[in-house]
Amino acid sequence: MKQIGKIIATEKVPTTVDEFFFWTDKELIIKPFDVVKVNHIKSSITFGVVEEISHLTDNSSFLAGYISSDFGDVNYQQYTQRIGMNYVRAKVVGNSQGIYTPVLDGSFVSLASEDDIREALGLKDIKNPLPCGYIEMYEQPDSVTIPVHFNSHFLIGPEGAHLNISGISGLASKTSYAMFLLKAIQDQYIEKSKGESVAFVLLNVKGRDLLAIDEINDELTSDDKSIYKMLDLSTVPFQNVKYFYPYSKDIVSSTYGRDVKSQMELNKAYLYKYIFEDDKESIDLLFSNVDDPNQTMESIVNYIATGQGGFNGITNWNELLNEVYEHTKAGASGKDKEITVLSWRKFYRLFRKTIEKTTIFSNSISSKPKDNETRLKEAILNIKKNDVFVIDVAKLDEETQGFVFGDVMRSIYELKLGQAYDRNEADIPSKIVIFIDELNKYASKEVPKSSPILRQLLDITERGRSLGIILFSAEQFKSDIHDRVKGNCATHAYGRTNAIEISKPDYQYVPPVYKSMLTRLKQGEYVVQNPVFRSLLNIKFPRPIYKQFKNG
Amino acid sequence: MKNIRKILEDATNGICYDSYRYCADEELKVPTINYEETQSFTLLKDRYGETDTSLKQTKDLTKKAKQLSNSEPLFKYFLDGSRRTYKVDDIEINKRIFPIMAGQIGVACCERKNPNNFKCKELESNLVLSLPVEANPETRNTELFFNNLKEKINNTPRVQKIGLKFSNILSYSSKANVDSKELKYEHLGIAAIQDEMVDSEKKIVANLTAKNLLNEDSYLLKDGSLQYKPMKTGEYKELSKIKNNYRCVIGVSKLFNPEFSKDRSGKSNAALLAKLPLYHRTPAYMFQHEREKWSYLGDYKYSVWYVRIRDAKHTESPFAGIVKIEKILITENENENGLESDLIDVITANIINERNPVCYGKDSRWANHLYPVYLTELFLKSKYLSDIHFLNLF
Repeated sequence: MKQIGKIIATEKVPTTVDEFFFWTDKELIIKPFDVVKVNHIKSSITFGVVEEISHLTDNSSFLAGYISSDFGDVNYQQYTQRIGMNYVRAKVVGNSQGIYTPVLDGSFVSLASEDDIREALGLKDIKNPLPCGYIEMYEQPDSVTIPVHFNSHFLIGPEGAHLNISGISGLASKTSYAMFLLKAIQDQYIEKSKGESVAFVLLNVKGRDLLAIDEINDELTSDDKSIYKMLDLSTVPFQNVKYFYPYSKDIVSSTYGRDVKSQMELNKAYLYKYIFEDDKESIDLLFSNVDDPNQTMESIVNYIATGQGGFNGITNWNELLNEVYEHTKAGASGKDKEITVLSWRKFYRLFRKTIEKTTIFSNSISSKPKDNETRLKEAILNIKKNDVFVIDVAKLDEETQGFVFGDVMRSIYELKLGQAYDRNEADIPSKIVIFIDELNKYASKEVPKSSPILRQLLDITERGRSLGIILFSAEQFKSDIHDRVKGNCATHAYGRTNAIEISKPDYQYVPPVYKSMLTRLKQGEYVVQNPVFRSLLNIKFPRPIYKQFKNG
Repeated sequence: MKNIRKILEDATNGICYDSYRYCADEELKVPTINYEETQSFTLLKDRYGETDTSLKQTKDLTKKAKQLSNSEPLFKYFLDGSRRTYKVDDIEINKRIFPIMAGQIGVACCERKNPNNFKCKELESNLVLSLPVEANPETRNTELFFNNLKEKINNTPRVQKIGLKFSNILSYSSKANVDSKELKYEHLGIAAIQDEMVDSEKKIVANLTAKNLLNEDSYLLKDGSLQYKPMKTGEYKELSKIKNNYRCVIGVSKLFNPEFSKDRSGKSNAALLAKLPLYHRTPAYMFQHEREKWSYLGDYKYSVWYVRIRDAKHTESPFAGIVKIEKILITENENENGLESDLIDVITANIINERNPVCYGKDSRWANHLYPVYLTELFLKSKYLSDIHFLNLF
C-alpha cells in the first residue's frame, strides 16, 4: 500500500506501547479515525488509528512569522515556503503477531488495505454479525468503504445489551440510526425461524416520525439503495408493523398522524384507551415527575388501588375524581390521618389536569372490530415474534406520555416474567426491543429518585438483558442521563454535539481530537463505541428506508 | 580487537597518548564582526566591477525587486558546505607530538522546484582523518600509504559494525608551522579538512554543470565566499575548467569584514556600508587574487558588491541585514569591463526577494540569512553523526 511517512521517536516524545508519531507530507489528506500500518520487527505489522494531526514549521515564534511577511505586509509573496510537515499521533490498536513493543524510529508508515483495516479495528471474523453502518477511509484515489458489523450478542444480549444514542444532529438523525439498527435486526430475525426471536416496541414522541415505517421512502436514491445492498440489508421497509394511537373521538386531536383511518382499515392501526378497572394500578406513573419526598402521592395511589376509604367499588375515572375531590374538603381526612388534606388537594389538582386534558382515559372499550380499540397492555401482552409496535404519544402532554411509556415498560416486564397471563412460552418473542427518544424526560439526573418510570428503566437496563428486554434510547445530551441507565448500555453512539457537552466528565476518556470532531460530525455520521471494536469508530449509515415526513 | 588508534600507532611507528577527545569547532554564539579575517584577494583600484560606470553612490532596487517578485526566482539551487572537526588524540612521531584530527564533512546542494518543494539534489557526506605527512614512515608513496591506512581503518570491526566508512586520510605538511609561529598543528589539520570540504563543493558544482542544470534561468547560490584558495596543483587547464563551472554561480556571504570593503580608490567603505539604505546596493568593485603570491593563477577576477536586505532599524548592528555578493568574472569582456550592470541588478533584486521567510529566533544571524541557505545548512547538520557517537569511534 501507499507509503505516507515514517515513524519519529524523539527524546522527549518516544513511541510507546500505546501510541506513536509519524511525519507525513503537509499536503497529504488524512483524518482522525483513519487506520495506518507500520512495519514492525519480525515482519509484523502494527496498526494504529489516527488521533491527532499537527502541522509544524521551523518557525520559532509567531513573531518570526510576522517578520517573514516583511514585517507585517499581508500581500507579501515569498519565493520559498517555510519548510513544514505534518506529524500525526496515532493510537496503537494491535499488531499482527501480538508484538506490543513500541514501533521503531524510521519505520515505514502506510495506508492500510481493506483487510488490514478490518483486522486493525477488530471487524474481522465477527460472530453473529449485524450491520451497523459503514466506514469510509482515506481520500480518493485510495479511499475504501467497509461495512461494519456489531456482534449482535453485544447489542441485544446475551453478552451485552442496550444502546444509547446521543447528539443534537437534528432532523431525526438519532431516530434514523436507531431505526437503521432495528431494521437490520428485523431483517436478520425475520429469516430465522428457529431459536431466538425478537419483537419491537417503539414510542413515537415527535410528530409523524415513526408513523409510516412500513411505507417505502420515495426519496431513497439508488446510491442509498446500493449501500443497503452492500450492508446485506433488504430495501423493503419494516414489516409486521402495528400502530397504536391515543384514543380520541375525532382521532385528530390526539395524534399528528393523518393516515390513521386508512391504516385502521388495513387493520394495522389501533386506538388505545385506559380503563379504570384494569389500569388503576398504573396511576402512580402519572406522578413520576412530581417531587414526592414524603411519598404521600405514592401512598394515595396505594390507598386508591387497594380500595380503601370510599374507593371501593369505583368503576370509572369520573367517580374516582369525585371521590378524590371528597377527600380534599376540610375535615375529610378524618378516617385516615396519615394523608393530609393538603396532599389530597395536590393529588386532585394534578390528577384532574391529566384526566380532563386527555381522552385516553375512558369508561369502556368498543368491541366493534372496525373501531379497532384496545388497551395497550393487552396488546403488548399479545405481541408476537417480529411484530413492530409503534405507540404514538407525540401529541399527549408530558405526564401522560410518561404514563404511557411507564405502562408499556411494565407490560413488557410482566409479559417477560410470565406473570398475569398465560401464553405459551415458546410464542413469546425471546427479545423485545424498546425504543424511546428523549430519554432525558424519564431518566435524567433531575428526575426524582422515587419516580416509578426511572425505577422501571433502571430495572430494564440492569436486569433486562437476562430477561430479553433491550432498551434503545436516545437523547440530546448524554451527560443529563442517570449514570446507572447509561452505564449499563453496552453500545454507545455519539452524534454531533456541542462544546459544552463534551467538556462534561462523560467524555473524559475521548481523545481531544475526537472530542472536537464530535462537534463537527455530519448528519448520518456517528462515533460508535462497542465492546467488540478496538477503538471508537466513525460510522456512516444510509438514509432511512421508510417514509419521511419533512414537516414533522 | 584493534581499534583505530592502535592501527595508527602500528602504521606510523608512533605512540598514541590517549588524550582528551573533543570537538575542535568553536560554536558561533553571537554574530560578531571578524576583523581578523584574512583575505588573499586585492581590490583592483580604478577598475569598475560593472559596466555602468556612472554609479557612484548606491542604487535603489526596490522597484526592480517588486517587479521580479511575480516571476520565477532566478535561484534554483542552493549550496552549502560545512565541516565539524575533532581532536581525537595526540600521537608521538619521531619525538614530535602531533594531534590526530578527524572531521565530518558535509556539502549539500538543495533544489527548489517551487515554493513548496525543497529537496536535496546532491549530498557529499564524508568522514576524514587528518595527519601530518610525517605519519608516513617512508618518504615515498605518501598517497599509497594513506590509502592503505584508510583501508585498514575501514576494516576494523568497530567501524564496519555501524556501517561507516572513512573516505580519505588527509595529510598536512608540518613545515608550514615553522613559517608562522601563530599556526598550530591543530589548525593545519583543520585546514586540510577545510580544503577537502572546498574540493567537495567544487565537485558538486562541476556535477551540476555537467548535468546542464545551471543556466541563465537557474542559478546556484552558494553560501559563503567564492574566494577559493588556489588549488595546490594549480594546473591552469583545471583552473579554467573550474572557472567555467561558475558561470551561473554566485556567492553570498552573511559575515564579512567591513574593513575589506573598499571603494574604487581603495579607501575604506565601511561607513558608507553602515548607512546603506534598505534594498540599495553598492556599486560593484573588481577584486583579484594577490598577484605576487598566486601569480600562476592568471586572471581570476571577481565582482563584489553589497546589498541591504533588512532595514537597519530592525537589526542589532548596522552591518546585520547586509549581504556580500560575489561573482567570478568569466568572459574576457567581463574581465575587462566588469559585469553587466543589468545582470547585477537582477541578481541583487532576486537576493532581496529571497529575504523571507526568516529564521528569526532560530539563528542569531537571521538578518543576514537567506532561508533556502538556512534550510540547506539545517539539512547538512541533520546528516552529521552526533559528536559523542563520532568521538567514540576512536
